[in-house]
Formats: sequence, C-alpha cells, structure tokens
Amino acid sequence: MRISLPGTLLIVLCCSLPVRGADQLATQIDQLIEAKAGGKVAGPADDAEFFRRLYLDLNGIVPTPAQVRSFLADDDPQKRTRQIKALLNNEAYARRMREAFTVMLLERRTGTTIPDEQWNSFLENSFAKNKPWNQIVREIIRADASQDETRGSLKFFTATGRTAHDQMAQDVARLFLGMNIHCAKCHDHPTVDDFKQADYFGLLAYLNQSKPAKHTGNKKTFLVEGVAAGKVEFQSVFSPDTKNEIGPRLPGGKEVEIPVFEKGQEFSQPAADGLPAVPKFQPRKLLAEQLTSAENRRFVENSVNRFWFLMMGRGLVHPLEMMHSDNLASHPKVLKLLADEFIAHQFDVKWLLQQLAESRVYQRSSLLPAGLAAQDALPESYRVANAKGLTPEQTAWSIMRVTGVLAELAKKERPAESGFSFKDYINGRIPAPDNFTDTMLLFTSIFGNPPGEAEIQFQPSMGQALFLMNEQLILDWLKPSKGRLVGRLEKMVDPKQVAEELFLTILARMPSEEESNDVVQHLEKNMARRTAAISEYAWALISSAEFKLNH
Amino acid sequence: MHPYRCNSSQHDLSRRQVLGGLAGMGVGSLLSPLVAKELKSQKKQVLLIWLDGGMSQLESWDPKPGTEFGGPFRSIPTTLPGIHVSELMPHTAQQMQHLAVVRSMCTKDENHSTGVPRILRGDPKNRGVTYPYMGAAMAHLKGQPDSELPNYIWVKPGSGGFIWQHGGFLGAKYGALALGDGKPPVHIKRPPEIDEQGDQTRNAIRKRLNATFKKGRRSAEVEAYDYSFQMAEKLIRRKELFGDFTPQELQRYGSHPLGRHILQSKRLIEEGVLFVQCHSYHWDTHGDNFNMHLDLVPQIDKPFAALIEDWHQSGLLDNVLVLLMSEFGRTPKINQRLGRDHWPEAWSLAMAGCGLNRGIVLGKTTSNGAWVDDQEYDIGHIFHTAFRAVDIDPAVREYENNGQPLPIAHDDCGPIKELLA
Repeated sequence: MRISLPGTLLIVLCCSLPVRGADQLATQIDQLIEAKAGGKVAGPADDAEFFRRLYLDLNGIVPTPAQVRSFLADDDPQKRTRQIKALLNNEAYARRMREAFTVMLLERRTGTTIPDEQWNSFLENSFAKNKPWNQIVREIIRADASQDETRGSLKFFTATGRTAHDQMAQDVARLFLGMNIHCAKCHDHPTVDDFKQADYFGLLAYLNQSKPAKHTGNKKTFLVEGVAAGKVEFQSVFSPDTKNEIGPRLPGGKEVEIPVFEKGQEFSQPAADGLPAVPKFQPRKLLAEQLTSAENRRFVENSVNRFWFLMMGRGLVHPLEMMHSDNLASHPKVLKLLADEFIAHQFDVKWLLQQLAESRVYQRSSLLPAGLAAQDALPESYRVANAKGLTPEQTAWSIMRVTGVLAELAKKERPAESGFSFKDYINGRIPAPDNFTDTMLLFTSIFGNPPGEAEIQFQPSMGQALFLMNEQLILDWLKPSKGRLVGRLEKMVDPKQVAEELFLTILARMPSEEESNDVVQHLEKNMARRTAAISEYAWALISSAEFKLNH
Repeated sequence: MHPYRCNSSQHDLSRRQVLGGLAGMGVGSLLSPLVAKELKSQKKQVLLIWLDGGMSQLESWDPKPGTEFGGPFRSIPTTLPGIHVSELMPHTAQQMQHLAVVRSMCTKDENHSTGVPRILRGDPKNRGVTYPYMGAAMAHLKGQPDSELPNYIWVKPGSGGFIWQHGGFLGAKYGALALGDGKPPVHIKRPPEIDEQGDQTRNAIRKRLNATFKKGRRSAEVEAYDYSFQMAEKLIRRKELFGDFTPQELQRYGSHPLGRHILQSKRLIEEGVLFVQCHSYHWDTHGDNFNMHLDLVPQIDKPFAALIEDWHQSGLLDNVLVLLMSEFGRTPKINQRLGRDHWPEAWSLAMAGCGLNRGIVLGKTTSNGAWVDDQEYDIGHIFHTAFRAVDIDPAVREYENNGQPLPIAHDDCGPIKELLA
C-alpha cells in the first residue's frame, strides 16, 4: 500500500492528467492509438507547451505572459480540463473556428456577391452558438439568402472561381466528402477505384440547376434553382461512344428519381420580385439534406477527419481529400469511433474538440522520449505531438500580441473606403496599414496560399522569411514605443528579468538557465546599444522555428 | 581553387561580362582559347523546361502529316538532312543541329497527378521511399552546400514559395524555391536601419534558438523553416538576379509568360544556379487540340530556339544541359472534341548541351505514330543520360537513406549511349 502512494502522487503532480471515465471518447482514442503505436510514446507535454498549443488551437493566438504565469502557478490537477472548457467558451473560440474553416472552405477565394463580413458573421455566429456541424454544412449548401442569419452562407457557392457547376461539384466532393474527383470529370479515376465518373456527374446533377438571380427590390443576389429537365449525360474520354446518364446521386448512395410534373405544375411558388418561380423539385435543397445526414457515412467521416486534422496536425485519412478504400485511415477504428460518437452527440463541435483536447494523444510532448528515434515516430503514429505550422491568421494575431501592437491596431477604425491592397503596399504606393483588418490582410497575403489552394501542409517560404527580415512594419513594431514589448523591456534593469519577459511573452514559456545566460551575454556585449540589442533578440525569437510552429 | 568556383561576386561579374558581351555580338567562336577552357571547366548546370499537361509529339517533334492521325499541320525540313518537324516549330527547325531528340519515349502513367511526379522522379522502382524530383536529386548530388544561390529554382506561373516536398526522402532542404510568375520575392531589400552587422547578429541568435529547439524533436519542419531564412539571406545579397528584360530580349524570346520565364531561367543559369526548372501549363488539350497547339507551340518554339542559339554562341551550351519535355505525349487518335488525350506509349522529348552529341534524332514510331517502332526508351534512360551528362555516374554514385543504399536512377535502365560523347 505504501509503495503505490508515491506513484499516484507522481502522476498527479508531474503530468496533471485529468481523471477521466473509461467510457469517455478521449480514453477510447488513447487506447486505440497507443495499442497501435508499436512501442514507447512521448509523455505529456509540460504545462507551458500544452497551454500554448491549446491557445493556438482553440483561440488562434498565443497566450499573454500573465495568462502563462497564472496557468503555470495553478496547482489544481484538473487545470488542463478546466482550461479546455474555458477556451472553448470564450469569445475568441468562435473567431478562431471561423478563421480556420473560412480558410478550409473558401480557400481564400474572394468575391463581392457576399461581402466577407457577411460570411464571417454567418460562420462565427454558427460556432458561437455551437450549431451542430451538419447544420452548418446544410446551411452552406442550402445557401438560403432570404434569412439574414444564413445569408452569408451564400459565399461558398458564389466565391470567385467557384461559380461554375463543375467547380461546385468538385469542391463539395473534396471538402465535404473527402473525395478529390477532379480526374473523374473526364473518366473514372485511373488509380482510385472508388472515384467514378458517375460520382462526379451524380453530384453535378444536384447542382446544375443552381444559378444566381437578383431580387429587384433589395438588389440582393440569391442562388435559385431552375426546373430539372432530366438526367445529366456524360461519357468517358476513353470510350466516347458509350453514353451514360445519371440523376442526382451521392457517392455510394441511391440515385434520386427526378419527378416529372405536368406543364404548369412544376412550381410551388410563382415568380416574384425578379426572382424566378420556385420549382417543387430543388436538387440542391435535397443535397443539403441528404449529404449532411447521419446516414451519409462519408460526410461524417470526412467531418471528424478534418476536426482531428485541426487538432492533431494530420488527418487519420491523409491527404484529407483522398478518402477511399486504397487509402484507409491510419487508425480505422479511431475514425469509426469518432464518426459514431459524433453522430451520437448530434454533431456537437465543442464536445468533439473537448474530447480530442483531453486525450493523451493531443497532450503529448513534441519531444522524442529517450529510446525513440525520429524515423520511428512517423506523423501518422501520433507517438509524439505533431508540429503544426502557425496559420497566417495565428501568425498575425500572435506577432501583433507579442510585440504589443494588437490593442492599438484593434482600436483604430478601418476607414469605410480603406482601399488597402497588398499589391499597392508592397509596391510602395500606399503607407503601411494602421488598423487591424488591413494588417491582417497584409499577413494573409504574405503567409497564405493563393485562392483555391488548400492550406494543409507547413510550407515555409523564402518570401515569408524576407517579410520578417525586411518588412519595415515589423521592425517598427519592435521599436521602444509606449505599450510595446521593447518599450517595456528597455526599462528593466536586470538582464535576467529581460530574458524571462522575452521568452514568456514570445514563446509562452520560461527560458532555461542556458537561454537566460545567452540573453544576458548578448545585452552585456551590446551595452552601448542595449535597446537595439533587446529588439534584435525579440526579432530572433519571433523568427524562430519554435514561434512559427504550434508544437 | 579554380577561379570560377570560388563564387566571389567579382568573378561572377567578369563571367557575366564575358557571356553578355559575346552573346550580344553573336561571335562565340571568337572566345580566346583560355576563356573557352575556363568556361568549359565550370560546374555543369541543368535547365529543365516542362510543358505541363503533355505537348503533342505529332504537332511538334514527330509529325505524321497525311496519315490517319496526323492532324492538319504540315511538316517542314530542318537543318538536319532528312529530318522534319511540325510546321509549328520553324525556329527550332533551324537549331536542330544542336539538339538530341528522342522520338521513342514509352513510359507508364497516363495520369497527370501521378504521371508528373513519376516522370520528374525518374520512375524509380518502388523502394518504399519517395524519390526526389530531378532538381532535388541534382541539388543533392551536385549542389554546393555553401552556394550563394539556391541550387534548385523553379520558375512557374502562379504562386511561389518553397516547395520542400520535391526533396522526397533526401529531405526538405533539397526542395525547390518556386518563383511565382517568375518574379523575385518582395522584401528583397533590407531597410537601412539594419546594417550588415546587425543582420548577422540577429540571425545568429535565431539560428541558436532553432538549434536548441531542434534537439530531441523531429527535425523536418525546423530545417525547412531554417532553410527558408538561409535562402532569404543568400538572395538579399544577389538582387541583380531579377531585373527588367530588354525590348530586344523580349522580342527574341516573346513577351508572353513562357518567353519571360525562359528568359528568367536563362538569367538564373547564367548567374550560376545549378538546376532551374521552368514550367508552362495548359498543354492538356483534350479538346480543340489543333487550335490550342497552333497557339501554344509557337510560345515554346521561339524562346527555345533563341535560347539554344544564344547559349551555343556564348559557349554556355557546352556546360548546361537543356531538357524540354512533358509527363507524356498525346493520343494519336483524335477524340470527338477534336482533342488528343494522354499518351505515354509513344512520345518525344528533346535534350541539348552539356557534351551530349548534337544533331541526333533517335528512335522511331510506327507510321501512324501510335507506337514505338524502334529503340524504346523509358524515363529511367533519360535520368541516366542526364546524370552522365553532368558528370554523375549512376553506376558509381548512390543515395543513402538511413543506411540503405538506393540507386539514383532506375536500375533496369542505362544511359542512351548514342547521346553520350
């Protein structure tokens, strides 16, 4: 009896792992992942690593030094679980989810039919209310522009570069069903048996009646549907003489019979206000229902795979858009479990994220444990935490926070006709942005992919490095003005205190003895230019891999 | 040490003056024997021009006018007696004496998504690892680690960035620096408030921090991130790489994207970059093949011919291997949309320079162009030949991946002997 006591204490004190019920999803995930790990896995991340990771994943920004200090000082063994709940319930959560899913779903496509703010408010409100995930997707496909609350959803199908029916069908397949069926437009996918040309045209048949129309009264654009005349015809380029046809059909699902109405009986509502008559049969409306149903396993699995990817840095099925029988999940049982439980919990996003965050898989250290070689800890093994690159948004929020400019930029109203554009700025035609929105635009232009290119992998570029090195705005943020990091630090007499503040603010952790000494030496060597030396050190920390990675 | 190997900017300058002056006058043969010898002994380089989607061999290197699948274009004679190319390539026809054309490529994959990487990786046997792209392979086998310039630059339309995936199992640092739209990265200029000393100091701290963080972690992400800064540091010192092209250059190479991108690639090679890959898209002519080739082929014909001529005259062609290819050719059969589809069975590519024999056309297709009739070559042969051309012997050199030796080119293939001098 006496022997077991120190052991128990050790677990509670060192790991601060929450006590969980065996039936909890997090517990089951851990069992399945660890059973397949084939050996040692990393221990839990220390408090600072966990805290920063959680902040970035759930709130999209690094924590402040005060928040880090208070978390490190907290000795409640349940503090991690408490913190997960707290971050899921604060205001920044919905904003972070909106940013993550805007990038995932719109892929930085723009367009003026629906202003960005309208889409943002639709998505952010949806996450704030914790709308079930299948409802969010249903509303996006439904694209009901008549309700203020859902009007923003119309952006998905009206974004620049996605207005053609074939692009709509491809993107619905890729983003909501985990199927990149681009190849299947002209023929069955040559290497993926599951991706058939009929899947492509079956989806197209749900979408090919959709078209924009303008309301004569309020001048707003709607995505209306015409009368489906019949099935879609297609042929493979390899056998052009064989004609095929298909009506609306989900991949793996049953083809929908297109109802035939007598002439004059096709409509449920007459034309009005410049909008055409509303047909009784609306295939896109049907798609919104069928695709997002719990019966549609592909949709559910793709959904949980993408939430898993957000938290764990790699999809169980990877690449995310290649979900098929020759590219099974690294852990099929985990995928099945997540899908079953997501359905059982009515597509509750916060619940799912909380379970993922509470798992040991999520809370592992990114440090390889002794005896585990890097080549044996592949990303899909989840034996150590996978490092995720900070997204453009996380990079922007975090740099603004650590340099101390966030409050002043956020306070400044963006002029109604700001006219800020990345191109104009980098060509020296307009001054640096002085408000948050334009500054964010600058960062997403530098760090984001071009429209239509998914942001899945960590792809550091020289252009981004050059931006951090030579962008005047960044250098200005590191000047000793009031309220800014360097302004605060230059007043500190004790170089050790400077070191602690630098590391705590920028990397959200305490410096090691060695790291602290390095700062002290740097300041001693540069006595005559101490402020510049502090600024240099802050720049190096912001430009370090540790800052750029969510590890 | 050889004077041109030390990479000092003075030598680069003098080399540029030599090359520039001679190219301008078009009197390559007047090179003094000493200079010519020095140019020859420089490191060998590679320019790979990639026509993504698949250029039609029938509308370019291997025309079959008047046959079942020949299409509407005629063929024209070239500087090689008895050798004809499509009438869409009048300029290249005049440079055939410098080229080595292979008309009997027979490869495996008819998909873009898998065919492009397969060809660019040399279709190695499956060894359970992802092979590097040709540029990454060259950067690994031949690149100078302390080179002031990235060893592998990718000039392409669209977006740029550091494409580390091209490195395959060799690792992130052998990936491609992609110049989106061929343009130099912004922020290449250092603000005056950061002097050389300050820049070195701050980067030295950054490197110390990265070294500490990397300890005990998987290193790929840290290395890739570190490398993006290294390249930035190098490039800041080499701004002259990017500049406006002269009206004469644009007139000669074309002011369209491919013309500009070939000009940019040319400049990068002349400035010493080891491997440049230059991409053009939109060659996937499933529909309206003939009008599209009528539009597209001239966009490669003119700048390609100009490049070969210029580099021949400057002598640079002796040291630079030029490859012009796609992931496959196009079907002889013309589909119902007047298009040609994907055809890896029988297609053509062109090589030149770096000591390869010149004025050679190898291999033959059947009279209707559908199949290889003689001297079938796979992409592995091309990799062997390219490696040999730049003085890497695949029979001797190999990769090492965690202790496992791996061949650098497909071990069932060998170099095309007729092309090697």
